[in-house]
Amino acid sequence: MGTERKINNRRKFFQTSAALVGGTLLYSLIKPFEALSQSKEEATKIAKEDLPLWGMGVDLERCVGCGKCAEACKIENNVPKEPFYFRTWVEQYTVKKDGEVKIESPNGGIGGLKQSVPDEDIFKSFMVPKLCNHCTKAPCVQACPVGATFISPDGVVLVDDTYCIGCSYCIQACPYGARFMNPVTKVADKCTFCYHRITKGLLPACVEACPTDARIFGDLRNKESDLVKFLQENPTQVLKPHLNTHSRVFYNGLSSEVK
Amino acid sequence: MPKLIFRLLLTFFVFVGVFILIQRSVTPDSFGKYGHYRANSLDDNRMKPFYYKGEAKCTECHQDVFDQKASDLHDAVRCESCHTPKIPGSIDCKVKPPIVKGTIQFCAQCHAINAGRLEKGVPQLDFKEHYEKQNCIECHNPHAPWELKEK
Amino acid sequence: MEEHYKHLYEALSQVDGYIYPNEIDLHWGLMIVLYPYITGLVAGAFILASLERVFNVKVLKPTYGLALLTALAFLLVATLPLVSHLQHPLRAYEIFMTPNPTSAMAIFGFVYLWYLMVVLLLEIWFDYRLDFVLWSKKSKGFKKYFYRIITLGIHDTDAKSAKLDDRLGYFITVLGIPSAFLLHGYVGFIFGSIKANPWWSTVLMPVIFLFSAMVSGIALVMVIYMVVSWVRKVEIDMPCLDTIAKYLFYILIIDFALESLDQIHRIYEAEESFDIIKVLVSGKLNITLFIMQVLLGTVIPLLIIGIFQVYKPDEKIRKAAYFFVGIIVLIGIFFMRWNVVIGGQLFSKSLSGFTSFKAVYSGMEGYLMAAVWLILPLLILTFLLWLMPPWKKLTTHE
Repeated sequence: MGTERKINNRRKFFQTSAALVGGTLLYSLIKPFEALSQSKEEATKIAKEDLPLWGMGVDLERCVGCGKCAEACKIENNVPKEPFYFRTWVEQYTVKKDGEVKIESPNGGIGGLKQSVPDEDIFKSFMVPKLCNHCTKAPCVQACPVGATFISPDGVVLVDDTYCIGCSYCIQACPYGARFMNPVTKVADKCTFCYHRITKGLLPACVEACPTDARIFGDLRNKESDLVKFLQENPTQVLKPHLNTHSRVFYNGLSSEVK
Repeated sequence: MPKLIFRLLLTFFVFVGVFILIQRSVTPDSFGKYGHYRANSLDDNRMKPFYYKGEAKCTECHQDVFDQKASDLHDAVRCESCHTPKIPGSIDCKVKPPIVKGTIQFCAQCHAINAGRLEKGVPQLDFKEHYEKQNCIECHNPHAPWELKEK
Repeated sequence: MEEHYKHLYEALSQVDGYIYPNEIDLHWGLMIVLYPYITGLVAGAFILASLERVFNVKVLKPTYGLALLTALAFLLVATLPLVSHLQHPLRAYEIFMTPNPTSAMAIFGFVYLWYLMVVLLLEIWFDYRLDFVLWSKKSKGFKKYFYRIITLGIHDTDAKSAKLDDRLGYFITVLGIPSAFLLHGYVGFIFGSIKANPWWSTVLMPVIFLFSAMVSGIALVMVIYMVVSWVRKVEIDMPCLDTIAKYLFYILIIDFALESLDQIHRIYEAEESFDIIKVLVSGKLNITLFIMQVLLGTVIPLLIIGIFQVYKPDEKIRKAAYFFVGIIVLIGIFFMRWNVVIGGQLFSKSLSGFTSFKAVYSGMEGYLMAAVWLILPLLILTFLLWLMPPWKKLTTHE
């Protein structure tokens, strides 16, 4: 009785596994032809006009270089705390009276930027927060060999963590140094405008943390948004315009020293 | 057609065919739905946990502090600028209140003298001169900085 | 992980000027230096082989088979440094599964595949097919099985089939020349198309890569030919060696002219990036660029072979000199790749400062791994020479 049941069980086990293996094999054989049977119409195309088009304004006249944004970004996005990995950071530019430009960003500005040039030598000084520019013609997206980084339908340049092969080509292609190789996940990492937040109606963490409202986040398609107003009221500029990346991060008060 | 060319072409087409079959079955399902990427990656990016909860959430319990803050100079500073969150937003925020010590070092992040901060409406202090106690909050109420505490 | 941070902290203390905080680490190291180097050797060796076959330089015949097998041995290894530098090497197949049509790197995968499968393998196959059939009758053991399988079941040995092999082989070689140009020109394009990097972004990059590839490939075959002859204890065909050296000389001149043109253009235009590049070239790259690449890899070889064009010393001296020239040219081209790949990452894209590069011995990006990728093709070549020695061929193309 016992042995019979065992045999029966075993037979059942073999039957089930054979069916499973067979089914998987059959499916994998059929799967490549699925596309032929389904009409292309079914592939949902999102009407782009209905979606927001995210962008950011940075008001350099308001930024005090406290580094709260860079700190918030690291907390929010689990960016390694070592001073080599930043999705956003703040630079301090100091133009000396002799014309020399000194740029500093110790630890990305986290903990507040400190002026290292004596006051009497300073011609002018200002802070510049940097982040991914979410280019409309993103060089990184163009360069990615496998399609692991892309521009989302709402205009945010994102990385597919499960698909990136870690070749670093996108990092080489980014003119703004906004990308890095995450030492933990071993894939390219970058600012996502806090995609997990903005799709829930929250603001990006850096915008939330900024005490002086120097960062203005919003929808470029919505004519009522703060961002559109900011762009209307201020003469804005993008970084490295000669590279024709059509970036969606706009700076007010950008000085020509900024690179 | 010579046998040789036929064999080679056959090998070539078998190779291409096998390649296309493998490609078809290995490519992720949602790949190419919106563009040359895995459409499900949008969801992956959306699903990440958030930490900063937003001022509205804080005000649910701390309306009094919010009102006090709104009436003074720190009105534009949102709660989590100083009270950096320690736990993801999905966890009830009452578990671990983020405490800020209000040391000089902390307040100096915004208020230390720096030529890059002039004329931006943020008071600049020389902490060597303006220095009475170890911690700023011993005199100043951080939610209403001009409400000085009695010494 | 700790180790990783440690070397970054060390690099942080050596930063000169301002760099973007994410730029502290060089994302492309020794492996990416090797990748264009090895690919270049392939393209160069192939061009040398086609000189004989398509351009009818019959005096090069002793090196024809050798050049092809060298190209194959190195081509098989060419992508391995690239894969070993990936952070997720197991995902490398995605380059073939979902290639991004706008990505230079993705299309390179297909250029590589085309070159390996259609050009090189086919050309070698046409060249050897008849011999495989004949050898399979005489050999024993593994060799016999290998020869049998590789003939794909075609056992014709008559004159007609030999003629067909010859014609098809010729056709493939003609097709192979633009393919070899494409293969290495494309490697140059991978760098030349990065507009973010002013040291790389020049239209001349593919052309420079192509000519330096030819230089290195020809030098490699020259050295290998001499070594193989010594090992086999046969006389080196001096006219052949002289001719290889002559072509090396001509192409080296073109290569040098192109690279100089590129630099002169930079200096004269003096764009925004020129200031930092000037400091880069005269500082961090001065030894690898001026000493290794220009002096050792270009000027000295040009002088030596140049003198030989007007005054031919004794054979023994010439042999020694050619061997020496071959080696230093190979070193020089290696440093040319080094200067491009490493040099391009040493300065910040903010054009305001430098980071530093320190190669390590162990690990996937270290010297040991690099040595493996350079020795492996030589082992493969030894195996190929044992399996299908060109000097034992019973037939030969017209």
